[in-house]
Amino acid sequence: MTKLKIALLSLLLAGAVQAESLHLTIVSTPQQREDLTSFSGIVVEERRALERAIQLALDEAKLKFDLYGIEPQLKTIEIDTAQPIEQQLSDLDANHLLLLDLPANLLKTAANYADKLGAVAINTSASEQSLRSDLCLSGVYHAIPSDRMYFDALAQFLVHSGWLKVLLVHGSSERDMERKTILAESIERFGGSISDERIFTLSHHPDDRDRNKPEFLTGRSSYDVVAVIDSELDFGRRIQFSTRRPRPVVGDVGLVPKAWHYALERYGAPQLNERYRNLGSTESSARLAMTDREFAAWASVKFVANSLNPTHLTGDGLNLRSLFEDKESRVDLYKGTRGSFRYWNHQMRQPILLATENYVSDIAPMPKFLHPTHYTDTLGEDQPESTCQHTLR
Amino acid sequence: MILCKSLLTPVQPYRIATLLAGLLTSLSAVGFELAVSNERSDEVLIHDERGKVLRTLFRCERPRDLHYSGETNSLWIACAEQNQVVRVSVEDGEILQTITGLDGASTLAMNEENLLVVSNERASTASVIELPEGKLLATLPTGYEPDGVAISVDHKRIFVASENAGLVHVFSTQDYSEEAKILTNLRPRGLAIAESELWVSTEMGSRVEIFDIQTLKKVDEIIFAPRGLRSEQLTPVDIIFSTDTRFAYVALGAANHIAIIDRQTREILKYILVGRRAWGLALSPNEDRLYVLNGLSDDMTIIDLDSRRPVASVRTGLVPRAVEVLQ
Repeated sequence: MTKLKIALLSLLLAGAVQAESLHLTIVSTPQQREDLTSFSGIVVEERRALERAIQLALDEAKLKFDLYGIEPQLKTIEIDTAQPIEQQLSDLDANHLLLLDLPANLLKTAANYADKLGAVAINTSASEQSLRSDLCLSGVYHAIPSDRMYFDALAQFLVHSGWLKVLLVHGSSERDMERKTILAESIERFGGSISDERIFTLSHHPDDRDRNKPEFLTGRSSYDVVAVIDSELDFGRRIQFSTRRPRPVVGDVGLVPKAWHYALERYGAPQLNERYRNLGSTESSARLAMTDREFAAWASVKFVANSLNPTHLTGDGLNLRSLFEDKESRVDLYKGTRGSFRYWNHQMRQPILLATENYVSDIAPMPKFLHPTHYTDTLGEDQPESTCQHTLR
Repeated sequence: MILCKSLLTPVQPYRIATLLAGLLTSLSAVGFELAVSNERSDEVLIHDERGKVLRTLFRCERPRDLHYSGETNSLWIACAEQNQVVRVSVEDGEILQTITGLDGASTLAMNEENLLVVSNERASTASVIELPEGKLLATLPTGYEPDGVAISVDHKRIFVASENAGLVHVFSTQDYSEEAKILTNLRPRGLAIAESELWVSTEMGSRVEIFDIQTLKKVDEIIFAPRGLRSEQLTPVDIIFSTDTRFAYVALGAANHIAIIDRQTREILKYILVGRRAWGLALSPNEDRLYVLNGLSDDMTIIDLDSRRPVASVRTGLVPRAVEVLQ
């Protein structure tokens, strides 16, 4: 009898809050979900599928989603890169929140398609600066930091440390050239200078052999610090501890700008890292932590949970676009300050960690780099510089 | 020591008088002591009222919240990494009582009806314990990272803030069932009750939210904006009230300030610059001074509340968390 009463009561309560689905869809490729390896098969960067991080975010969001009667549904679409991407996304509609774990070229196609559907699509994986202007679409957001954000953080750290003269060593790929230009601009913007630039090539050709020796690459110049740009994380690894002068190495090796790190000791980060490690028993080393892509995915789902309020629920259910366009929407990032999306180019503002392999040396923005309105807006393209100019609603 | 030396050497009578006067002043100044927990150096230190470190009272792993019990002149200490709360004698630091099984013991609340509530950060629960025996009455499930706890003045409700879930759980002391969840801004930390109001500091929301203690509805919020700081840098944590509940004091964390607030009008009367990452707060017994713990500069700022100015900064252990007046 009592049981029946309770059942009836919960039915009544459930009736008060109508269950609404939150459709979360990861769009990825098999390659995105595999570790990056050097030509000999050594893992140079851990990459993981986003599901674990999203599961963690959903777990954390459960109490609030339950109060609002939100039922999250997570699925993954693995893109076959040989087939047209639109066809593979044809099941989606405006009610979907897409987490785009794709390389830049595929991301553009998928984001354009999602925007036309009226859905919200979040870039969790491509930091290419060009996407922040090229993908200027009302339904597209970037949760992964942009190249500018990473390099502004690093540049602030260098200037703050008094390491003003920088030797820039970089690869010759298109991506390396694009990134090294952005880094050089960041360094100069904050008051440092590039003492010289050197290019390495991934080759054993006799003509390149001498030129590629780290000692020669870093010789005949005066500098405080060496910045290495190597998007493949291959050759660049040779440079640290092999420089002609005894100087620190930063960039893609040595001290690296990161969105997240297992060794962050403040702001509740140890608790978040512990929860992540404890989730799913398959893999759990003490150093296991979200990669920057996973952190972006976790932050995207937490953004929805943290920002959700009754105004985002319309007759048709959860209105994702209204939630994302709400200027009060924000997320607790476990980095000491809340994050939100910049209204002009939909980039998530956030602090950037400057980390070695096992220590977070500092967190940008660095002291004395002040922005008139937002604490973290000295990192990345500011509103007046941006070619993408959404307006504040 | 100085006095003995002076007496051994021939001195003018007026000098002795000055010395005696000085001695009397310093004696009268030593009116009460403070206990400060230091999370990173694993120690609870005793300071005099001017902040000087007198002795180490107790050592345990990651001590967090403190609660002084006047009747027995003892101090409750939450030892987070040891998953326990201990009560030690203020006289000699001897352990008088140990309550175990409190996973990540964080914040303490106590009432006159001998109820002790402890938030267990790692277990995502709060434990309700009956004193003096230390009997566990209930384990209350919460969202992740429970922190602030409070017991209503009528002893009927227990409030527990979950930092991660962004809400305050409300439990009944009758049957320990959950009565409600109060949604708050980002990362609720400190809870404080004055008359019919529940004040909640939301660390990442940069504001204090005020709820009616009966209806649990939000009645107001106080948004901090000291000059020269961006909103995101304002991370309020501890809240305390003066005994007459006229004033509220809020530690603003990474903003390196505290705020003095008129509780009734909710007007911010003054911001005062302190050390780095201000969290822990305590008032002197006659409420003429405010003690502020600065977790990232490892020191304590002493504020004179008549002039509303900082008068001293004194060293603490590493990462000081809670300060309690031992009187």
